[in-house]
Amino acid sequence: MRIAVCLSRLPDPETVEVDPFTGAIDLSRTLYVLNPADAAALELALRLRSDGDSVTALTVGPLEAEQVLRDALAVGVDHVLRIWEEGRTTTRPAVTSLLLATALRTEGLPDLVVCGSRSLSGGSGKVPAFIAEYLDWPVVTDILHFSLSNGRVRFRRRLPRGARSEGEVTLPAVLAVEAGTAPLRYAGLPGLMQAKRATIAHRQLPELGLSPMDLNFPSSTAHAAMPPYPRPREMFIPDSSLPPEERVAQIMSAGVAQKAGRIVDGSPEEMADAILAFLQEHGFVAGPA
Amino acid sequence: MTATNGSEHFDVIVVGAGPAGSAAALLAARAGLKVILIERGEYPGAKNVSGAVFYGSTILNQLIPEWWEQAPVERHVCRRELVLMSPTTSVSLDFRSAAEGYVRPPYNGFTVLRPKFDRWFADQAEAAGAFLLTSTVVDDLLWDGPQVVGVKTRRDDGDIRGDVVIACDGVNSWLARKAGLQRELRTHELSLGVKEVIGLDESLIRQRFQLAGDEGMALEYVGAVTEAVHGGAFLYTNRNSLSLGVLAQLSSLVEHKKRPYDLLETFKAHPAVAPLVRGGTLREYSAHLIPESGWNMMPALFADGLMVAGDAAAFCLATGIYIEGINYAMQSGLAAAEAAILACRRKEFSRYTLSHYMEALRQRNVLTDFQAYRHAPGFVNGERLQNLYPQLAALGGEALFRVDGNRKQKLLPLYWRTLRQVGAKPRHVLQDLYQVARAYLW
Repeated sequence: MRIAVCLSRLPDPETVEVDPFTGAIDLSRTLYVLNPADAAALELALRLRSDGDSVTALTVGPLEAEQVLRDALAVGVDHVLRIWEEGRTTTRPAVTSLLLATALRTEGLPDLVVCGSRSLSGGSGKVPAFIAEYLDWPVVTDILHFSLSNGRVRFRRRLPRGARSEGEVTLPAVLAVEAGTAPLRYAGLPGLMQAKRATIAHRQLPELGLSPMDLNFPSSTAHAAMPPYPRPREMFIPDSSLPPEERVAQIMSAGVAQKAGRIVDGSPEEMADAILAFLQEHGFVAGPA
Repeated sequence: MTATNGSEHFDVIVVGAGPAGSAAALLAARAGLKVILIERGEYPGAKNVSGAVFYGSTILNQLIPEWWEQAPVERHVCRRELVLMSPTTSVSLDFRSAAEGYVRPPYNGFTVLRPKFDRWFADQAEAAGAFLLTSTVVDDLLWDGPQVVGVKTRRDDGDIRGDVVIACDGVNSWLARKAGLQRELRTHELSLGVKEVIGLDESLIRQRFQLAGDEGMALEYVGAVTEAVHGGAFLYTNRNSLSLGVLAQLSSLVEHKKRPYDLLETFKAHPAVAPLVRGGTLREYSAHLIPESGWNMMPALFADGLMVAGDAAAFCLATGIYIEGINYAMQSGLAAAEAAILACRRKEFSRYTLSHYMEALRQRNVLTDFQAYRHAPGFVNGERLQNLYPQLAALGGEALFRVDGNRKQKLLPLYWRTLRQVGAKPRHVLQDLYQVARAYLW
């Protein structure tokens, strides 16, 4: 089985110093680290690897970003690849994912792509979803743990308020792992020294069959789904015409009414439309831009 | 990718990427040797602390011509001030020079921020061909009988083999102790330095310290700053920050039950210091041990296949007039590298070949300086110099400059009275004069 892990290098938040007057970041004091969620993804990928499997680490970034790939090599990744268009300074998540997805395609599609769930810097969490979109694969986000059985990935996801959910997904798939789920192993000395000396493979746009124009697509519109501003809760006022015991019963039952759920049926498009309509109606999502 | 593994063999293994280690690695790598430089920090300099004024500009200039053009230096020091303090008063000796050696290349000294400077210096060693390995702790030496043949690192398959090991692993040198070269250090031989870097606007620094352009200043304090504890304090100007700190003898900290950071607060609040640091913002805080006894705590410097350099060899000259360490560290690193190069040429790594290290140290004036000033640290940390004389100078100054309509006394009776006032005995003063003479004059 071939596993690909997407890594990113970002400024260590502890070393980011902001001038209180100008708001400028003092870049000379900034150190760069491997994104913690990516480190967890890398560790889980390495744990999954058995004989005959291979793990490839990819990153999108300038020459300095090689460091995360060297870190990956040191802990035992088989292949590494850096993707970058010289002259660029940053990439938006959509561009990063396009580059990653294209590189995965040209280098031979893996069976499984593992990413960090979100970066500490931008933190949009879009990259795994975009990669899945470009590859037309399923994506599972917020993963705490996963294992393989019979060509399917069993996973456990983190839900809000401490809840967990478990499920299965068929390969190939994109998995987005939460930060802190697995501490990255400590590199052995031979690996570390080898990694330091390794030449890191590098792909530019033409080698990926892309032109700079391909990266200039109009900015995507993301609809953020956030809990709406809490509306004042209506106080239940019992009907004053009723006898006291019934009013008490009414008060007692008022808070425990069952939450009503609705299951939508139909084709995927219809279901998506129904969900979107519901979210808009209840104020979770602003109307279409 | 070159095929390598942990048992790969190096000519020279340098442990610790401080000034000593990087200098050794740089010189050995330039001589074409296969060198590995091992550092426990995430990057060289991450764990390194000193004042820091680097007085070794001319030394480094021989290695890397015009090094200050490319290195991250802060300011060149052309103003120095030695300050004696009582709790309310300070008396100082102010030195400022626009002479060639102080304001023109190669300059006399530079203030540096160690994390930046050490990182740059290790990069130079790496560029010269040394293999830099960071985030790796060296735990032990590898032995073959009496011969050191490598080091054991705290990683899987972590043995690294080499012909010569140069231990530049700092004041609490683990390796020197493992090899039986250094004994347990005593608390009166060590000082604890606590240091703050305080951010301050560049123009404010120039105004406050009367500096132009990249000129810098080094102030050193003795007396009430450390209360009854033996020690001193320093304040150095960086480009847009100040490095200031307090050094306190460990044994005397214990004896007086003082905390070093309390002393630092007292120091910052002193009327002579407070106006200099006012309005600054704390940028960094660090602490470090300093091997202050120099000559008297020096370990055996070499064994079969092993040499000790830098702070690990106690190459820190703290005499009151001179507070230098980085330059001696570099010199000792270079001397060790010279001995290593010789040994590699002869393919003979016993202590007899490595004894060339001592010769090189003497040629580089390291041992001679420490021997010459071997009495100074004891004197500087003496009770009377620490507290009595600063007090005396302060009271004398107060009496001398006070105008209150009383009859003006001539200087001798004035100082005689001050002497009695602080309870100094003439016998002790004479004794100390002899001490000063022995420590500094001949």
